[in-house]
This record gives sequence, C-alpha cells and structure tokens, in this order.
Amino acid sequence: MKVLIVEDEKTMALEMEAFLKKSSYLCDLAYTAKQAGKMMEDNSYSFILLDLGLPDRDGLEVLREAKKNCPDASYIILTARGDLEDRIKGLDLGADDYLPKPFSLLELQSRMQAILRRKSGLNDSKVPLGDFIVDLSRRSVFFEDQEIELSRREFDLLSYMLLHKNRPLTRSQLGDHVWGDFSESDYDSNFIDVHIKNIRKKMTAFGSVEWLQTIRGIGYKIKI
Amino acid sequence: MKLHSKLTLYTTLSKIAIVILFIWLLPRLVNDVASQYTNYYLREQKKKVLDNIQKKGIDYYLGGDSSYGSYTMLKEEYISLEPANMELHTDTIETSRRIVENDTLTYRLLNHVFEYGNKKYMLEIGKTITAIDQYNGPLQRVALYVLIALIAFTLVIDLIFTRLLLRPLGLIIRTKLVNRKFPFKEDLVPVKTSTTDFKYLDNSLIGLMNKIKEAFEKEREFTSNASHEMMTPISILQNKLENLMMDNEMSEASQEKIIGMMNTLNRLKKIVRSLLFISRIENDQFVKTDHIKPRLLVEEVVKELEDRVEARGIDIRLDIYAELTLHGINRDLIFQLIYNLVNNAIRYNKEGGKILISDQLIQEKSYTIIIEDTGTGIPQNDLVNIFDRFKKSKIAGEGYGLGLSIVKTIAQYHGISIDVRSVYGKGSAFNIIFPADMVSISATS
Repeated sequence: MKVLIVEDEKTMALEMEAFLKKSSYLCDLAYTAKQAGKMMEDNSYSFILLDLGLPDRDGLEVLREAKKNCPDASYIILTARGDLEDRIKGLDLGADDYLPKPFSLLELQSRMQAILRRKSGLNDSKVPLGDFIVDLSRRSVFFEDQEIELSRREFDLLSYMLLHKNRPLTRSQLGDHVWGDFSESDYDSNFIDVHIKNIRKKMTAFGSVEWLQTIRGIGYKIKI
Repeated sequence: MKLHSKLTLYTTLSKIAIVILFIWLLPRLVNDVASQYTNYYLREQKKKVLDNIQKKGIDYYLGGDSSYGSYTMLKEEYISLEPANMELHTDTIETSRRIVENDTLTYRLLNHVFEYGNKKYMLEIGKTITAIDQYNGPLQRVALYVLIALIAFTLVIDLIFTRLLLRPLGLIIRTKLVNRKFPFKEDLVPVKTSTTDFKYLDNSLIGLMNKIKEAFEKEREFTSNASHEMMTPISILQNKLENLMMDNEMSEASQEKIIGMMNTLNRLKKIVRSLLFISRIENDQFVKTDHIKPRLLVEEVVKELEDRVEARGIDIRLDIYAELTLHGINRDLIFQLIYNLVNNAIRYNKEGGKILISDQLIQEKSYTIIIEDTGTGIPQNDLVNIFDRFKKSKIAGEGYGLGLSIVKTIAQYHGISIDVRSVYGKGSAFNIIFPADMVSISATS
C-alpha cells in the first residue's frame, strides 16, 4: 500500500516513514506542496498524509487540488495549528480524518486502519484473538457464537492493543487513545489498569486470555 | 450610599436645620429688636419731656399738685411725674405692672430721677407690652414664609445642580466599572465633562484599562505562539521515542528509561495542549451559538465518566430538574467545563464517596448547577488561587493543574461565574452560575 507523506518538517516525515515501513506501507516523502503535486501526478496512493502548514502553499488549497488528482486516495490532515475551523474545512473538503500535532504514530496507524475498514466494507473486519473473534466493524467480541459484553472503553482498549499486537503499549499511550483530548496522563493510567482487569475478568469466563500480557514497568501488550 | 444621595441628603438636612434654627431664633430676635427699639423710644420720650420741663417749668405740669400723670385713651402709653425722696441714680428700664384707672397693665417702664429747683422728682414713662408686641406676630409669620420660600427654591436649584454636576461621575461608573467583565472587548469612550477631576479620573481609568488589556493581549499572543512553536518539536520527539520503543533488541532497562521519557514528554504535551486550548478560547475561536438542555448535557458528562465513577465506587446522584434551555453558548466548551469539574469531584473524592449534581433556578435572575463532593476539600488558603495556572497546593506538593484554569477561561468567555465552597477534609461544592440572559424557560417537555 502506498502512502504519500507531505510534511515540511524533515525529521518528522522520516519518523513517520520509518514507522509505517515496519507495518509494510511503502512511503514517498514530499517536503513542499510543489513536490507533492508532482508526486501525485506521477503515482497513485492509497493514503496521503497532509500537513497543513506547508511553506509554499496553504494546506487546504493543496488538499482541494489533490482531491482532483487523486480522488481515490484517503486523506488524513496533520496540523499543529489545530484550529477548529481548519478541522471543519478540511473534513468539508473531503479529508477522511484529522490528527492534531503532536500525535502518536500508533494513533496514526489506528486511524488509517479505521479508514481502510470503513472503505472496504464490513467483510474483512473480523480478527482472531486466541480463542476469540474480534469484529472491529460491529465492535463486538465473540467466543464461538457467544458475544462477550465489553464496555465501549474496554473494546477501544482491546482493539487498539490488537492492532498494535506484539508491541508493548504504555499506559499513557493507551489513555491517549481512549480519552483523546480529555486524557490527563498520570491520573488516567490507573483507570487503564481497571479496564484491563475488567477485560480479563469478562473474557476469562469463556477462554484463556494468556495473550493479554502485563509488562512490568511499561504497560500491556497482546502477544499472538 | 451613593455620592449623589449623600449630597442630596446633606443639602436637604442642612436646609431643614436652617429653617428650624430660624423658627427657634425668630421670636427671640423680634422681641429683642422690639424691646431695644422701645428702650430707645422711651429715652427719646424722656428727652422731649425734660426739654419741655426746661422750657415751660415744672409747675406748668404739676399745676400746684404734688404729682402729674397723663396717658393716652387706650392707656398704651403714660407719663407720670412725682417728687421723689431718693438719691439720684442712673435711669432704669424694666417691665412692670401698673394700675391705671383700675386696669392692671404690664408696661415697659423708664425710670428717671432728676433735680429741679432743689427738689428731686421721679419721671416714669411707660408703654404697654401689648402695644410693643403688636407687630411681632405678623412680622414673624411673613419672615418665616419668605424664608421657607427661599429655602425651597434654593433646595430645588441645589439638587438639580448637584445632579447635573455628578452626572459624568455616574456615567464613568456605569460605563467603566459596573458589570465590566474582563477581558474588555469594546473600545472605551471618554465621558464628556467640563469638571477636570472627573476628566482626570476617566482618563486614568481608560489608561489603566487599556494597559491591562494590552498586557492581556501580549500574554495571550505569547501563549498562543509559544504553544504552537512547541508542538512540532514535541511531535518529533514523541515519534522518535515511539520508533525507538519498537526496537526489539533493546534491553529492558533501556526500554523502561524510554517509557520514563515518553511519560515526561506526554506531560509536556498535555500542558502545551491545555495552554493552547485556553489561548484559543481567549482568542474567540469558539462560536457561542449552541443551545443545550442542562440535564441532557450533565447526563452525557456523567456517562463519559461512568467507568471512573464505577472504578472508585462513588455514588453519584443527579438532581437536575429545571426545564429550561441555555442558549448563546458553545456546547463543547460547556461540556468540557462540567466534565473537568465532575472529573475533579471523582478524582479528589475518597473511595466510596458521594457526588451530588443539582440545580437551582432563581426566576429571572440566574440558573445554577451545583457539583458537590465528599472529597478531600481544598484548604482555605488555596481557595483563592485554585483557578490560577500552575498554582501548586501547599499540601503534598500536588498541583491542581490546568483543569480549573480551563474551567475559569470557559466560564469567563461565557460570562458564567463559578463559586467555590470547600471544607478541608470534608468536600467541596462548585456552583456554576449562568446569567439570566442565557436562560430561557421552555414550556414544552
């Protein structure tokens, strides 16, 4: 899957590239609107990650034009401005999502997955997890035919860990995902523990949850 | 009391005092003048009598008798002349009774002893008190009427003038001080006045307010710029650390250190984000055109925090009954405001504590949502500055963070006031008071 990263901050673009490569995305980098335009003409992309604060042109204008050249790509706006108006305008112009800087790369990947799921229909959204099946589109967890009742937050946590499986996630990374702008780092971490405890309790009643590991001093990870 | 009322009261009272003093003084004054004049009149009479005696000789009057008496028809005045066997003395004037033809009358009397032809005589000239006093009554009455008329006239003039004089002051207070909510948005118009004191006061106020406004603008700009500028480096650092974390060959110890760094960076991120949020509110970036039903909004907040309430075993009760709509607000911001307060009520509560969210509608005045908890409470010393940015509590080094600063900023932006009551160790109550012009009572539902 090809991704175009349009970001004037070189280091930042390189970090995004490094991260997405590990999840087997192919990345092109553009540091200016001009470069981006040229690349969009020559290639076709599944994702275009667009920083609004480009040096040579207004990001929203770039988006409007890009939508014409690459109508099939999914667009995620990245911005440090974070003005509400930008967000609304960006989504109006057809962006699929909006991530204010600073954002977590894990969150970026999670948003990309969600867009993919949305665009590809409901078919391939069932993911096996040990003896369980997680249906990401319907937001439900099954053991054989039985549905396991998880709260909204519990499901958010489980699916996020599942997406980033085999990778230790810190409590604040999990908190950031679950509570977003409302999260308060230190205090929220305690509630992550409570939620994990509940997930374990609810799912152990049906089958083994050995895959959900606590990593001392760090956080949690799903290992499969 | 207002200056204008004080001046009005003072002017009125002082005039009344003058009238009372005058009423008390007037009879004495008139009597005094009348008696002075009578004395003068009696002395003049005496001179005339003595002149006549010099010219015509005493016998002309005595006519062989040992004494002489004469009075007018109504006995208002009389003169008597008789030999006296006493030493010469200075004249005396006294009020005394005399019997004149069987009538006992009170007279003002001049007594004069003189020698004439080696004989001593006593001359007595009298005038009845009634005659003396006959003009006193009418005179006093007229004087009093004139005085009252004059006082009333000057009083009206004084009051009108005071009013005119103080009008600029009232205008300064009304336009510059009363109901002024910071930050001042509209331009300040100088009050027109020819009184230099007021002009000075007004100009000083405008100057001060502009200075405050300027300082505020500068701070706002700085916060906004600085936070923006910090976002990109924080972003880069965060992503670098995240990538580093994925390195499988890293030792556990190094990984833990990276987690520590990430947590610290996370804190920095939250602070910068909150500051940016505050500066965005202060920069008017949120439109206030939403309307909400308070009960629905509070229910939504509580639902959002449900898991925390549950995890801490807190008993939360909603007593919100008023059927009304709050309008002219930004829904997201008010949500955030209530969220932060309820979140604090959970956070600083004790395990298994209670939270009560209730409301109160004072007709035509204001609508209040009250969030009470049975938590740790806030020490009295801290109460004043819990809403300030980065203020640390004196206990246990725990800061209140930016949550309450955000609450304050949102409240200020909407013209909502927040009242806090707290007993340390027992709990706190936050009152969110919505001004009357935001509240519309809905007849439906």
